[in-house]
Amino acid sequence: MFKLRIADAKLLRDMITVISTLVDEATFNINPEGIKLRAMDPSRVAMIDFSWPKTIFDEYLCDAPMKMCINVSEMLKLLRRAAKEESVELALDEKTARLTIAIKGRYDRTFNMPTLEATEEEVPTPKVTFNVRAKTTTHGLHQAIEDVQLVSDHVRVEIDNEKMTLRATGDLMGAIVELKKGSETLLELEAKESSKATFSLSYLSDIIKNASATSDIATLEFSTDMPIKIDFQQPKEGKLTFYLAPRIEVE
Amino acid sequence: MFMSFDKIESIGEEQRGLSLKGKDMETRFQVFAELCEKLEATSKRLVMVDLTADFLNQLDADEVEPTVSMMLGRAFPKWDQRVLEISWATLSDVIKSLTNVKWTRFREAFAKTGDIGAATKILFESSKMRKQATLFEKPLTILEVRRALEAIAEISGYGSRERKERLLETLFSQASALEVKFLVKIVIGEMRTGFYEGLMELAVSKAFNIPLDVVQTAAMLSGDVVEVAKMAKLHGKDGVLKLKLQVFRPFRPMMAQSSESVEEVLGEHGRETAFEYKLDGARIQIHKYDEEVRIFSRRLTDVTQSLPEIVELTKTRVQARQAVLEGEVVAVGEDRSPMLFQHLMRRFRRVHKIEEMQRRIPIELYLFDIIYLDEKSLIALPYVERRKKLSEVCGDIPLTEQLITRSPKEAKRFLEEAIEAGHEGLMAKKLDSAYTPGIRGKRWFKIKKTLEPLDLVIVGAEWGYGRRHSWLSNYYLAARDAETGIFLVVGKTFKGLTDREFIQMTKRLKALTIKKQPHGVTVAPKVVVEVVYNEIQKSPKYECEMALRFARIKRIREDKSPEEADTIQRVREIYERQYGKKARY
Repeated sequence: MFKLRIADAKLLRDMITVISTLVDEATFNINPEGIKLRAMDPSRVAMIDFSWPKTIFDEYLCDAPMKMCINVSEMLKLLRRAAKEESVELALDEKTARLTIAIKGRYDRTFNMPTLEATEEEVPTPKVTFNVRAKTTTHGLHQAIEDVQLVSDHVRVEIDNEKMTLRATGDLMGAIVELKKGSETLLELEAKESSKATFSLSYLSDIIKNASATSDIATLEFSTDMPIKIDFQQPKEGKLTFYLAPRIEVE
Repeated sequence: MFMSFDKIESIGEEQRGLSLKGKDMETRFQVFAELCEKLEATSKRLVMVDLTADFLNQLDADEVEPTVSMMLGRAFPKWDQRVLEISWATLSDVIKSLTNVKWTRFREAFAKTGDIGAATKILFESSKMRKQATLFEKPLTILEVRRALEAIAEISGYGSRERKERLLETLFSQASALEVKFLVKIVIGEMRTGFYEGLMELAVSKAFNIPLDVVQTAAMLSGDVVEVAKMAKLHGKDGVLKLKLQVFRPFRPMMAQSSESVEEVLGEHGRETAFEYKLDGARIQIHKYDEEVRIFSRRLTDVTQSLPEIVELTKTRVQARQAVLEGEVVAVGEDRSPMLFQHLMRRFRRVHKIEEMQRRIPIELYLFDIIYLDEKSLIALPYVERRKKLSEVCGDIPLTEQLITRSPKEAKRFLEEAIEAGHEGLMAKKLDSAYTPGIRGKRWFKIKKTLEPLDLVIVGAEWGYGRRHSWLSNYYLAARDAETGIFLVVGKTFKGLTDREFIQMTKRLKALTIKKQPHGVTVAPKVVVEVVYNEIQKSPKYECEMALRFARIKRIREDKSPEEADTIQRVREIYERQYGKKARY
């Protein structure tokens, strides 16, 4: 059996929003300790690795490990009905394979939706080594991305020992955003060697925009022309990590 | 070049039925692209068939369907309802973003090649590409391409354009310039290799050593040669022979040869035959399975959404759990008389404002055949028996008017009645004939009675009645006498124009009015219209002593001047030729 309650529906809604940036259907691994999800977007350019321990929830009940696949965009429609400070309860009816979503607060409503056939696909972790690491506020990072997005659909990220630089060049305009070590936004910076890589803003901005609702601190790691790993710090033992493959110039 | 950072070892287990080859043995898309390139380079049909047959032979069973579909420029098989829905804006954005070049370069490449795929290839070869890498490497295979196309087709709703763009960008990033050329063509839906379905049937026949007629019959029954190719690969000739009509799989309809006379038809059909009204509508296939109904046009496109009344009618009236029926939908005017075909076509392929169209263009359904009934294919049954079964299951849905006769005189009268009622003519169906999908033979004839259209000049008009009372809607049509230059009236019609055209025509004719008449006007001969008709008769009514029968305006010839219109001499020539022909019988 599987059942949980979360006092602030917003928390769950924001997380489902994050997941929906990459996938339409998500297979959750649910066990007595908590919930996990690893999924790749259909083009295998980006990947999400997420887990919330049971302690994040106000009530959590799961007696045996299971998989549950749901259509996240449909679920999101329902969760968007919850107002501030309303609670939400999820319960899986294993006989009918339907998930009930009860939103309680100003008034009570209970929705139910079908679960889908879970994928057996196991997504491995990309084996990459990182030469640079930067810790930023998600707010500052989000702002920087909004800036460069004005001029282009991709951004070049460069990190050396002094700063992190975002460069974008569009057809007409260009943008450079500098985040200096020790500034309000850039909290920590480490560089084994200066590194730079280009990423599609179509992915990057959605990831950062949605994930910043769930987290205050982000850690970026990458090497030249290699995938970037972005970790969004979660409460308690929670984890939210993205991997994103770069765009590469080819002669 | 394809960049990625990690080889994927195993992404779960693929359930692939009979295939013995491992994942890494999937056929590369590059090989597919090379084949298409070779097909494009030759115009020799036998060479094309040989190349394709060889290729099909080497494929895995699960690769056959995607390959055959894609070779014919389809992302998915014909009966599959999935569509890519990638706009040119999306496609060109992806090409721009990957090649990072000024768009004038694309235009130049297109001007040189005349082909979007080929132009894209040039750009890919000549520019510094900025490709999107993936997290895990997977070689681009035929099946990988299919999976990517499936993922694209699945995207819908908010933000779908951007998500489609991402997928397409990644797919193109993994492709070589040659591969991209054909990916673009598949996305657009046009391969332009000169390799069409008929050749594919030959290739399937050759590759799997199955007689061509068996392949062709199966293709017609299943509606798609793709299905036949798949079956041939899996189970050989026996499998292909088992291909049957299936509910919800459209099949190619049986067709009719043209004939000019009822005598010829009666002769061919052994003295007696069944005549049916040939309605001026759209032929449809109705597939019913319990409460589900799907409707296909004669070109096998799904038009269910555009025809909700027919769905409802089928659900409520047809007395069978499963049935495949054929019929004609006719657009009707307020007085229930048939309207022009072009009005009807506006209802097809329409997804928006269906309710409004339902009000504006009411339609009626007439059934004429049944091909499948409760798990049984009826194609081998004689026509008369199918018709009997049809009348048993059709409830109160009308069947097309029918007359079984041996008499040419009766048949002619029946033809006149059909024309009189505004229909196209007659069908003649051999009484003991089986239903042969996709085949145009002598078992069915169509007898139409229109002669070659004439370009005539409007020289006068009368006010209409009822709804048309404020329009000059009844026109005098004239042909020019080449000898005297005078315009001579040969007929009159109020048929063929749309409401909007009537309004515009009224304005024009008012401006051209020379003389007002009790019921209308005489106008300067300026407006030329193309006119179709069923016959030219001898008539004392007009000065030229001829009159067009059942004339109707096909279109307004803005491009023609009255001097270029047809002459009375031409009309007389057609009249005499037609007379001559009739006299022979």
